[in-house]
Amino acid sequence: MAETKARKAMIKIKPKKYKVGDTVKVDFIVIHPMDTGMAKDKESGKIIPAHYVNDITFSFDGEPFTKMTVWESVSTNPYFSVKYKITKKGKITVDYADNLGEKNSKSKKVKPKKA
Amino acid sequence: MERRNFIKSIVVASAAMTVATPSMLMAEEAKAATVKGPNDMPLADAIKAITGDKEAKESDKIKLTVPEIAENGSVVPVKVEIDHPMEEKNYVKSIHVLNSKNSNSRCADIMLTPANDKAYFSTRVKLAETQEIITIVALSDGTFMKAGKSIKVTIGGCG
Repeated sequence: MAETKARKAMIKIKPKKYKVGDTVKVDFIVIHPMDTGMAKDKESGKIIPAHYVNDITFSFDGEPFTKMTVWESVSTNPYFSVKYKITKKGKITVDYADNLGEKNSKSKKVKPKKA
Repeated sequence: MERRNFIKSIVVASAAMTVATPSMLMAEEAKAATVKGPNDMPLADAIKAITGDKEAKESDKIKLTVPEIAENGSVVPVKVEIDHPMEEKNYVKSIHVLNSKNSNSRCADIMLTPANDKAYFSTRVKLAETQEIITIVALSDGTFMKAGKSIKVTIGGCG
């Protein structure tokens, strides 16, 4: 088991300015190696064990709206984007776990502009 | 009698050799084939795991955006949009992104809810060689749709 590291992650809401009722794009990026378990270390010649983000949950104020299951075929430093309809002020949280048991989460405040 | 025994032994030995060599070769091939990712799963099995016994129909409603030629197989953008309402009782339940030739043919499963408002998903995947990206879309009424597009990969991105 790898110890839980604080990973760099980012949530972006596009477009930057939005109102209540708008459908926005929620982008999530995490800095993660996403090793497939097939590549060899160039110096030692040993196979790097598989290590990839596996479970991702997008939630708004604690209510999940999108769940993802992801495998090693997704690129290094994975990027995921879904759409979401803003209904009120709150917080978007993304919880992510990988196959070695690391668990982290990242959140971003949602502040819609008055129409 | 000795001569006869000797010939017999040669015949037996050579027969054993001819049997042994292909099987040994096959064992080596099998060994080479086992060096694969931890979730080694052929495409047919993966599709069956998603749809069960039902069949997924080809559909124009799925808009799959991928590059025709990917120069770097380790970063291939994939965008899926589905022209389908996202209402309380009629919505897109899940999007599954699959590939045809990586050792693990499943890339990502996305479970959507009506709160998403639009069925949209975008990510970047790794592709080992020139192959096809397939998306299977499950609707809330239990039916499945699919769409596929082939991508030419110049430099593979796995391993």
